[in-house]
Order: sequence, then C-alpha cells, then structure tokens
Amino acid sequence: MKRFSVIARDGLARVGRLETINGQELYLPDACDTENIFPSLALQKRTNIPPVEDASFIARFPWPSDCEPEMLHPCLSPDASLAGTVMTPNWHILLQNPRRFLQYLIPRKTQVPPDTAWYLPAAALPSNAAILVCAGYDLFDCTGVDLMSARGLFCLPEGQYPAKEAFSRELCSCPGCTKEDLLTHNRDALRKELALIRYRIMDGTFPEMLEMRCRTDPTLVSIIRLLAAEPCTEKATPVNRTKPLLATSTDTLRRIEIVRWRDRVIHRYKPPAADVAVFLPCSAKKPYSLSNSHQKFSSAIRQRAHELIVTSPLGLVPREIEILYPAAHYDVPVTGYWDHEERHLIQDTISQYLTLHPYRRVISHLGGDAHTIVTDAAEAAGLTVESTCSRHPTDPADLACLHETLSGERKVKMAFLKGMLSYQFGYVPDTSGLVLKGRYKKQVVLENRRQIFSIDPYTGFLRPTFDGWRILPTGYRVYIDNFLPQGDILAPGVIEADPAIRPGDEVFVVGDTAMATGRAVMGADEMVRSGRGIAVKVRKVKKL
Amino acid sequence: MDTTGEIRPLACWQGMDRVIDEVLPSTTIILTSGGCSWNRCLMCQYRHERYTGADKENISQLMLRQLSYIEKNLDCQKTPLIKLYTSGSFFDPAEVPQDVCDAVASQFHGKCMVIESRIDYTDIDRITRFVEILDDGTHAIPLFLALGLETSSDEIREKCIDKGVTFDAYQKTADLLHDHGLGVKSYLLHKPPYLTEKEAYDDMIQSISDIAPFSEMISMNPCSVQRNTHVEKLWKAGYYRPPYLWSIIEVLHAAKPHLLCDPLAGGRARGPHNCGTCDPVLLDGIRDYALTADRELLLSLRQVQCTCHEEWEYVMEHEKPYNMPLTS
Repeated sequence: MKRFSVIARDGLARVGRLETINGQELYLPDACDTENIFPSLALQKRTNIPPVEDASFIARFPWPSDCEPEMLHPCLSPDASLAGTVMTPNWHILLQNPRRFLQYLIPRKTQVPPDTAWYLPAAALPSNAAILVCAGYDLFDCTGVDLMSARGLFCLPEGQYPAKEAFSRELCSCPGCTKEDLLTHNRDALRKELALIRYRIMDGTFPEMLEMRCRTDPTLVSIIRLLAAEPCTEKATPVNRTKPLLATSTDTLRRIEIVRWRDRVIHRYKPPAADVAVFLPCSAKKPYSLSNSHQKFSSAIRQRAHELIVTSPLGLVPREIEILYPAAHYDVPVTGYWDHEERHLIQDTISQYLTLHPYRRVISHLGGDAHTIVTDAAEAAGLTVESTCSRHPTDPADLACLHETLSGERKVKMAFLKGMLSYQFGYVPDTSGLVLKGRYKKQVVLENRRQIFSIDPYTGFLRPTFDGWRILPTGYRVYIDNFLPQGDILAPGVIEADPAIRPGDEVFVVGDTAMATGRAVMGADEMVRSGRGIAVKVRKVKKL
Repeated sequence: MDTTGEIRPLACWQGMDRVIDEVLPSTTIILTSGGCSWNRCLMCQYRHERYTGADKENISQLMLRQLSYIEKNLDCQKTPLIKLYTSGSFFDPAEVPQDVCDAVASQFHGKCMVIESRIDYTDIDRITRFVEILDDGTHAIPLFLALGLETSSDEIREKCIDKGVTFDAYQKTADLLHDHGLGVKSYLLHKPPYLTEKEAYDDMIQSISDIAPFSEMISMNPCSVQRNTHVEKLWKAGYYRPPYLWSIIEVLHAAKPHLLCDPLAGGRARGPHNCGTCDPVLLDGIRDYALTADRELLLSLRQVQCTCHEEWEYVMEHEKPYNMPLTS
C-alpha cells in the first residue's frame, strides 16, 4: 500500500506526499500516470459499474475489490480501516450534476480516513482543477487534457480554445507552444495549474484562487457553494490565516470564515457591561482603530458607549475583537452600494445580536445604506435608533453631535479580554486580576506580572501559556497517550480531541506523563481519525 | 367495436435485402403479438409493444387481422423474401398462437422467410410443422431462424444485456436447425452498456469469429438508446454512449464474414454517432456495404477524413472501465 501524508490543508483541499514505488514521493495534488503508479488499475477489464447503479446490481456483479486504489461506490461502505489511496471511478460524469456529486462524495469523505489520497480519473482540466481539489481530490491523470488535445482544443485555466487560434494568436509561449505541440502544452498547463494550487494551499490563499477559477462554469460555482455549506468542510477550515482575506465576490458572503465570524459574534462573543451602543462605519485601514476616522470617533465617544463597527461581509465587528482574524485581515471593494444579499445577511446578524444584547440606547453614527440596515435591524429587535450622522461620519458637526448625544453617559469599562476569550474559546473565564499590556502587535496578558497569554501579532489570537490554560478550565484539549512528546504531536498519538478544535486553534495537550501548549495543525476530526501527520505544533512541553 | 377489419401491423415495408450471396426484393413485417415472454433486456423497447391483457384467442384474432392487412395492402408477389419480426419470439406459443403460425406459413407459401425467435423458443417440432406448410421446394433454405445471441460472451450477455440465454444453447439450437435443413441468421449487439469502446469492439470481433461457423448470415446491431429502457436511464445520467460509427466500420472491416448492419438512430445522440459532420456519409456507406458486401467501399470509408477520427482513436485506447464514457 502506498502511504499518503497530508502536509497542509484548507477545508477539504490538501497538499500531501504520496509514497510511490521505489521509495519516490509525489507531491499532490498532481496529475500522474496512475496506471504506472497503480499497476492493478491496468488490469481492470469489463468491470464498469456506474455510480448510478443500485445495490442490487452490485450484488449481482463483482465490484473490483482487490484493486489499489480502493474503488468507492455510493452503495458500498468503504473499508474505513484502509488508508492509502481511494478512487471514485467514473465520477467525472457526476460533475455535471453537482448535487448528486456532493450527495455521493460527502458521506465517503467522512468515512474514509483523512490521510487517504483521493483519485478522480479523467476529470482534471486546468479550468476545473482548483474546484476538484476543493472537493477533496488529490490525484488526477492526464486523460482529460489528452482528450482535449485529441479534439484540437487548447487548455488554459480560463477555458478551452481551438488550438489553431491559440497558436496563431500566440496565447502561450511555453515549450510545447513554440513547437505547436498541443499535447505538451495541455499537460503542462494542467501541471502548472496544480503546482499553483499546491502553492496557494501552502500559502493560505487557496480560497481566493478558487473564487477566481470557478467563474468559467456555472456547475463549478454550484460545487463550491454546496461544499461551503457542508459541515465537514467547516471542520477542516482554519480559524485564522496570516494572509489578507479578499472579499471580492458575492460568494465571499458564504465563505466559511465569514459565516463562522457572524455565527461566533452572535453565539460566542460576550460584550462588556454597557447599555449604550454606537454603530460606526468601517475603515479601509485595519485594525480600524489605527485609522484617522476611528481616532476621531473614539475622541468623540470617549468610552461612553460600546463601539460596534458595521461592515461587509463580516456584518458586525465589536471594537474589542477588531484585531482578530478576519476582522483585521479582510479587504472589500467599496462603492457605497450594498447589494440585497449582503444587506440581508448583515441586517440579520445585527438584529440577532441586538436581540441577545438589548442596549438601553442604540446610536447610529452611519450614513446611507449602513444607517438603514442598522435602523431596520434594531427595529426587528424592538429597539429605536438615534442618528448622529446627517452629513458624513467624519464631518466635525456630526462628530460634535455624537459627542453631545453621549453627554451624561457613564464611562464603559472596556473588556478586551472578555471579548477575545469568548470569541476564541466560546466562554468567559474569570479574568479578574488580568492586565492587557503593550502596543498593538506586541500585546501580552499578565497576572501578577506573570505572562499568561501572548497575542499572535499576525492573527490576533490569544496564545495561552500553561498558566493561561489554568484559567481556561475546559475546552480545546487534545488528549494524548502516555508518552513524552519529542517535538510536535503526531496524529496517531492523539486519543481524543475537543470537537470544537479547528486548524489554527490554540490547544492544550494533556497526557499522563506530559502536557504541552501549541497550535492545532489539524481539526479535531482529522486528529482523531488520521494515522499520520502533525496534529499539534508544540510550543512548550512540560513533564509531569 | 369492429372485430373483423384489418389492423395495420406495427411496421411493414418493402425493399432489398441480402441473403447469403444474393440481393433479393423483400417484405419486412413487424407484427404486434402477445409480447416477449422474457421481457427483461436492458436496451429493448420492443418488449413494450404487445397486446396486454388479451387472452390467447384474442391475440390470435388480432394477429390474423394484421395478416389480412398485409394480404390486402402489400404486393408480396414480387418479393421472394419475407422477414417477419414480432418484437419477441415468433415460435413462443404464448406470444404467437399456433393458428397464427399456421396462417403465416400458408400465407407465405413458397417464400423464403427470415423469422426471429429467442433461442429458448425454437421448439423443433413447431418449426418443422411451420416449414412443412411454408416450403414448396423453391428455396434451398426456405427458413432462416433469426437468433439474437448478441454476443458469444455469456458474461457480457448476462451483465450488459440480461438476455437469459447462453452461447452453449445457441450452438445446440444452430446445429439442430442445420440438421433440419434450415438456416441461421445470428444477431449481434455492438456496444451494450458497461463496456468501453474498445471492449465493445473486441467483443464483436471475438463473437463474430465464435459464431461464424454456426451462421449463414450475421447481422450486427449497434446499440441505440430506446425509450423506457434501463439503457435510456444510464444515457440520461451520462453513463451510456452508443458506439462511434468509426468502431462499426472497423468491425465490418476486421470481420472475415460479411456483416449485415443497419444502424438504428444513426447519427443521432441516441444512436451510433460520430461528431455529426461525417455521420451521413459513413452511415450511407455502412448501409451500402450491408447490401453490396463491397470490401473496397469499406476501405474508402476508413479513409474518410474527419477531425473526430483522432478523438475516436484516443477513446479506443484510453477509455477504461473506471473512466467511462470519455465522450458523449
């Protein structure tokens, strides 16, 4: 059996290493001569059974069972103990029917061990490779592009063109194209695209690439939208990245990190004890408080209200968690126009938030559509909005009005830690005696001058020390076997993990002989079900 | 209700047909009958053509009225050859009552007939009784039984067709018919579902060489997508593609014996087709060859230039049981 180890993941997309014959390793995703890697494939004769056939058909005719890769059929349970490579024979046809494709794929994805390479034959083209990788496929062949070559079609990530046109118009200057060798160009175009996909996954910018690539075909858009709604995709999607999140299309509204943010702001985040809320516009500069406009807002408010920033596509960013991913990382095109879909989602987020946290006064220091959104959201929550902006939020008269409106209100005790801890860990531990110190990007949390958290300068996430985990009594635990970790925690050593853990989360590793602090590389599900790979990148180990 | 008038058969037409080495004027008749008793083949829509719920007497009466339609409307004097199909088995007593059998034999007394019947409905007493009425000594072989073997591979026939007969039974039947001085016209089915383009080609080549010793004539039917069939379900889901015309020409060329072939729905998505551009000329050629057996014609068909030829070559080489179909 040829073993597969995942090195990096982003949702169901992974980069991994596949051992092949004579000890060589292949970096996936890639397109290979699969019959060469898996000789038993070439022995298949008259064994076709389409995935649309039912169980009674399979009962009558033999399903190829002694083949590597193991072949999956929607009517058969995969052998969950097997890791290595699996394939979905003849599923390339299903790509034309995204719902059925997902209906077959998702149950298998949750049954087969995560450290299994997935092979989809005859499907990959430069124009769909990113979407196939996003669906959790790792291994491809050149059949799709070679067929295009046989048809005289020239392949690019943007689509297929008649080869004669492509050559005469010099659309490409690769070694194949200089000799008008279509087969070479098409294979290179696929391999190049897959190399770029590997890079973008490692780089943490694969979702942005995906959004660019799926535009060539409506069925591909359907696949990524359906995938984004699957819980198994969410479980494998990182909670933070060091790269910007580019919200350049309507699909970003459904991107997992965005949906997760809105969900956590409503259900996890705990605001400070304040009964006056001021809704503010966002700024291009992140975190917002570093911008000129927000410095003006803050000096008008003077901490006499809880500051809430209204923004697309996140919806709502409470001031205390503005440095957390993706609030300090997103960038969105600004036109002043809010489309119906984003209005609806943002309004819904704000009204749910206000229903759970009913303020005595709700002030909107917003103009245009944003003001309407907040007014409607507050109304849905049974609250009335006071407006302090009639010209422009940074207009001195409007700022004066904001200042004036808050006169007589008491100073709010800001609760940065409460906000950040509740967002990141899902509950509010006892934070009495804790002090947040230092400037942005160099912040630490101290208790009796002892550091208990540092703040990751790239993601804004809190990194607990052993003392930090002491004040976080539950959650985000990874239970390991009785051993002293030498370096990172590998998946086979993990016995149990809090199901809330996602890649990128800070975790506390607990064992009989040792404990450790570190950052999850895998989600909980992958840690528990995987037989290979780094589960937790360890920061510190303590022998017990 | 009129219970005496003529009834138009399901289909009937007159034309030319090749019988062994002769081209003869022919009448082809498709009668509605009690229907195929097997009624299971994955690609067959003919099995739905039947008098449902009619008792034996009724069926017999309805079929005799179709025969009188032919008597009145077709001039069979000029066609020495009569081909008769019932969308099932002519010699299945449940499907075609004995009196209808007798009536057919006497109506076409002195003709050469080709009659289709499943291998499991070839009761030799019934057939000899038929021949006794039919034959007046004009033809060396007065009757050819058209036997649908479809392929000589029992494995393919069971999985891809669900025909319920065996190659062994076919051989025995063919021997018995020959012993009685009768002829065998064997039907093959080119590219049932679940086979790659190449596997289907190989199956035809193997089958032709297997059945040639048992057949005076071989007719190869390229599979087509008929309504209300399992194959149609697969086709709609993208999991069946009828054969390329290139493959058919290749089989005709590679086969030692001459093959009859009339591709149903040729050139259409539901039938054997190429890219659409070269289809008409190739279809004409295939039908001409069936009649003329002109090997030169086949050679020239193979030389036809079309952009889809390279695609077909690729599919022949690279379509596998795990990545099919590669094209639509």
